[in-house]
Amino acid sequence: MKDDAFSKCHPLTNFLFFLGAIGFCAVIQHPIYLLLDAVGAGGYYLLLKGKKGWSLIAGLIPVFFLLSGINPLLNTYGATALFHVFGRPYTLEALLYGMVIAGMLVVMLLWFGCYSAVLTSDKFVCLFGGLIPSLSLLLVMILRMIPSLTRKAVQIADARKSVGKGTGASENKKGKVLGGMRILSALTDWALEGSIITADSMRARGYGCAKRSSFRIYRFALRDILLICLMVVFLLGTLLAGGTEASFTPELRIASPSWGLASYAAFLMLPLILHGIEVIQQRTSLARL
Amino acid sequence: MRKATVFNIVLILVLIPATLFLGTKLTGRWYYLTSTLMVIEIMIPFFLAFETRRPQARELVTLAVMCALAVASRVVVMIPNFKPMTAIIMITGIAFGPEAGFITGAVGAFASNFFFSQGPWTPWQMMAYGLGGFLAGVIFFRRPGTRNPVLLAVYGFVSIVLFVGPLLDCCTLFTVSNHLSWKYAAAVFGAGFTYNLQHGLACGVTMLLFSKPLLSKLDRLKGKYGMMDARKEHQQCLEKASKKWKKFRNNA
Repeated sequence: MKDDAFSKCHPLTNFLFFLGAIGFCAVIQHPIYLLLDAVGAGGYYLLLKGKKGWSLIAGLIPVFFLLSGINPLLNTYGATALFHVFGRPYTLEALLYGMVIAGMLVVMLLWFGCYSAVLTSDKFVCLFGGLIPSLSLLLVMILRMIPSLTRKAVQIADARKSVGKGTGASENKKGKVLGGMRILSALTDWALEGSIITADSMRARGYGCAKRSSFRIYRFALRDILLICLMVVFLLGTLLAGGTEASFTPELRIASPSWGLASYAAFLMLPLILHGIEVIQQRTSLARL
Repeated sequence: MRKATVFNIVLILVLIPATLFLGTKLTGRWYYLTSTLMVIEIMIPFFLAFETRRPQARELVTLAVMCALAVASRVVVMIPNFKPMTAIIMITGIAFGPEAGFITGAVGAFASNFFFSQGPWTPWQMMAYGLGGFLAGVIFFRRPGTRNPVLLAVYGFVSIVLFVGPLLDCCTLFTVSNHLSWKYAAAVFGAGFTYNLQHGLACGVTMLLFSKPLLSKLDRLKGKYGMMDARKEHQQCLEKASKKWKKFRNNA
């Protein structure tokens, strides 16, 4: 799904949300908070990607188990030894700690997956175009050139194939590398020649004479102010309520969660809640017809 | 310009020490956040210098081409794990100077992640590739005598295995580890070593085969269109020559 309710908000709202979500995820190591985080991130990722989202989640599960299994091998602190590996204790505390660390990584990757889907390059440029005009123009040009250069590279390779060079499986590694360098060389010429034409054309149209304007299709509406205020309140609530402390080695010490948990949950579920509200509104307006 | 200088001073004297101080004071798992903040803070002066200079259109487009070339070069050689990207970034630094090398590396890494995925590794990749290009520029820029493909190839290999690769591994270390111990660091760096070796070899081979043609192309571009301070260089050359001539005449 491309256009869920949260993606349609102003880029600033999106950016601040991900900043908060990823920042808090990198710091809080309380298992219950982490579980909640996983539900929020996973849910939103699935909402964004649909059925295709399961492939990333399925790929992350082995990573989770691998990382949490490795930790006790390197970290032998902890009171309860489960068994011994090469004469070193494999402790329950270290295993739990490893699970939390691995979980944090998995959740962070899920949030970054959501970030990539929501904060597309045009939104990024809309956010930072005013602050760093040259760099964002550079970014826009690169993003356009990468696909076009890739296409050109394929064209050059095809042209080489038609004269019988670089064809098929008969080539060894050395031939492949040499052929690749030839293609790269031709591609460089082509791209640099184009760059001068582009630059002259930019100058002819008055680049650098005045402040660059960028297209804006995003409006900073009342909804965005409201959302940002809510985010700040929820995160402050989580911070002030405490109960997020947890330490694992040498001994297990996990604080009992306070009402901050509810606040954190509300923050994490914001995109999902927005989506839910939109769906309900749609249903009721359809029913009214 | 002055504003930028003030900002840089504040950044270096206040923000970075403050981040480090907070990072050591807070209990819990702050390694990743502290280190990533540091990385971003270190990169800011480079970007600010580029931005306040107001680069010309020609410079901007050429840098964009070099970035895109570096990213697109992955598809050119059809051998898995053979990435000429770093070599192209370094060559840009050698031809156009350290700053251009940094911008190409950092923005190139950021842009390529729009096609793959942004992740906790993004700032680290930007930093590693940017500094790779920067360092190559510092060492080889404006030293025509050193532009020997074999030398460049050796440099590329060594700098990746010793510098760029370990910087990328630092990201893994700070994301995955809980207790920062030498044992953990050795495990992570050891796991990354074979990958870095591969990466370095790819860079070395690309440098060996591609540095000469690419450098001559970039030099030609610089000279023909007067880009990237080529005009200033030319003027300096003229001034030097005229000084020498005056000295010669006075002596005679």
